[in-house]
Amino acid sequence: MSVHASLEQLLNRRPDLWRGRARRSLPVAATGLGWLDHGLPGGGWPLGRLTELLPRLSGCGELGLLLPLLARCTQRAEPVVLAGPALVPGPQAMARAGVVLEHLVVVREADEALWAAEQCLKSGLCGSVAVWPPAGRVAEKAVRRLQLAAEQSPGPTFVIYRPDQSPPPSVSALRLGLRPGPEIEVLRSPAGPIDSKRLGPDPEPVIELERYRRHARSAQ
Amino acid sequence: MPGPRNERWLGLYCPQLPLLAAWQCDPQVPELHAVHGHDRGRHVILHAGAAARRAGVAPGQPLGTALAIAPALQSRPRHSRAEASLLEQLALGAWQASSHVVQAPPDCVLLEIAGSRRLYGGLRPLVETLCANLEQRGLPVRTGSAPVPVTARLFALHGLHAAGRGTMREKLHGLPLSALALDDSQARALSGCGLDRVAQLLRLPAPERARRFGPELNRRLLCLEGRQATPLAAWQPPRRFRLRLELPAASSDSSALLFVFRRAIGRMAHWLDVRDQALTRLRVSLYREDGGGSIPLEVGLSRPGMDEERLLELLALKLEDLELPAAVEAVELSADSTDEHRPPQADLWSGNNRGDAWPALLDRLRARLGEHGLSGLAPEPEHRPEKAWRWVAPGTSSHCEDDRPRPTWLLPVPRPCRRENLRLEEGPERIEVGWWDEQACRRDYFVARDRHGRRLWVFHEHRPREGWFIHGLFDQA
Repeated sequence: MSVHASLEQLLNRRPDLWRGRARRSLPVAATGLGWLDHGLPGGGWPLGRLTELLPRLSGCGELGLLLPLLARCTQRAEPVVLAGPALVPGPQAMARAGVVLEHLVVVREADEALWAAEQCLKSGLCGSVAVWPPAGRVAEKAVRRLQLAAEQSPGPTFVIYRPDQSPPPSVSALRLGLRPGPEIEVLRSPAGPIDSKRLGPDPEPVIELERYRRHARSAQ
Repeated sequence: MPGPRNERWLGLYCPQLPLLAAWQCDPQVPELHAVHGHDRGRHVILHAGAAARRAGVAPGQPLGTALAIAPALQSRPRHSRAEASLLEQLALGAWQASSHVVQAPPDCVLLEIAGSRRLYGGLRPLVETLCANLEQRGLPVRTGSAPVPVTARLFALHGLHAAGRGTMREKLHGLPLSALALDDSQARALSGCGLDRVAQLLRLPAPERARRFGPELNRRLLCLEGRQATPLAAWQPPRRFRLRLELPAASSDSSALLFVFRRAIGRMAHWLDVRDQALTRLRVSLYREDGGGSIPLEVGLSRPGMDEERLLELLALKLEDLELPAAVEAVELSADSTDEHRPPQADLWSGNNRGDAWPALLDRLRARLGEHGLSGLAPEPEHRPEKAWRWVAPGTSSHCEDDRPRPTWLLPVPRPCRRENLRLEEGPERIEVGWWDEQACRRDYFVARDRHGRRLWVFHEHRPREGWFIHGLFDQA
């Protein structure tokens, strides 16, 4: 028994050791969306590692999926940084999702987004950082630098590619493909291959009921 | 008219001032260094560094002789503007101990210490504290004190202290005549009479002195003895900090510039400290060697304060971005400051001092990204959706009560689209505004789905242009 316990302790001391499926779970932050927590390996957004989002088209949930997390961070007065988004985040929608805009910072200089994100991550002050690499080819070195910086940040870190960008070989913990819906495909996961690769929100009964009523009214 | 009886003046004499002023902006001062001035058409050594003096270079030597003695000697001509600015620095140091400070150019500062002496618990602790502070700022001084300002200056040159007028006169009488630094013709006339002590001169009757050596000498002696008051111009630290430093050699190398900035920022920190101010914005001008316009740099702080290392880091970031079109020969700093003090606040909940670290991070980012590279977002109470939001400074709190459907992503400019590709789901929301100004518009907003299944925020515009446009994307789950 004691031999077993000490072996377990020894193994636990090395988070970089690959242990197949039985790997020790990495720390995560809840996404704030039940179906997503349930479906993501580890049960949330990984902490201290990069999460890469690859939307098929812009507006496939790359901001919407993060909103509950951003709301939680900003409500705790932890600053949230969006570095180099291609479009303008709508303040009304964010405020309605619960984001306290006072603690939101947008880096508008897209060319400097990677540098700015790295500074924010290294400071260890941000609740969450999302970075859009500038248009064009994304260098593997740039993503590696972000990964190193992300290890110093307490919150989840997202790298969000543009629809026409192809990501470099992954150093991230989690890589998700996004399609309209949103429909999520887990392309890479820290715990190796997982069973169900496609995730999406449960069909909402409220909408179904509304549709049913409309249908019923029209039938009358 | 003699001044009040209870005055006590302290003289601060910085013998190395010309040397320090000439070499202050060099990152590496050569071991054998000196400063020279003009004397009757010749270059004459004014002051030499310790190593140069050991090598045999002495003040008063012609430059040629000095170079023959120590060929490795590097000497700079005297820089009177830099000396004046360094003397200000000395006066600023003195201001910390007294509110009555007088500059005595080129290398002395006088301060009245009768009141402050009690505060420090005596003359010795006051002088020691003051000297230690100045030494720390790179200004070693010699001191002397007397009840009369002019005499205090003379005593500082010789390291004499006198509490009362009696002792002061006694010590004055004991000085050699050469101490009075009289002009050459007077000195020759005096030594021709066989006089070499101040006491011997004072024993001569006053009319006799005036006849033989001119009336100016008598006036000088009366002032020194405290029998006649000398006019003094009280000095006050400037209301706004401004400093110009010249580089020893024009350079576009950022490390040379940063060294000069380090000097300047050290002085600015001292000024802020003395005036009890906090820095809000630092303005820097880099003067080009080729005479082109100066290059401005600005560093704003999100929270008034002063942290030398942080400020240097911000300046280094600014310089990194800058492409200097020509070498820089001088830099000028000026400071916007406030006397509003906000002490750093520790975060009550997490215990660490993020109250200070976050503004510091924003400053760093802004230094590279520019004022508009970094923003917060705020909704605006405006019906026209393009104007219903704006970029604000990060940390601006705002309030939003709009509960109409608004998208998570806004297109910077609405993009024309084809009605056939859209399936309208919600709407319309009629927006008809601007008839009171020139920007009249009438639109119907819808939530629609495109062929890919994305939810879009689209509008059908009736005025001023007819057509369908995408204005935003809903990407919430």
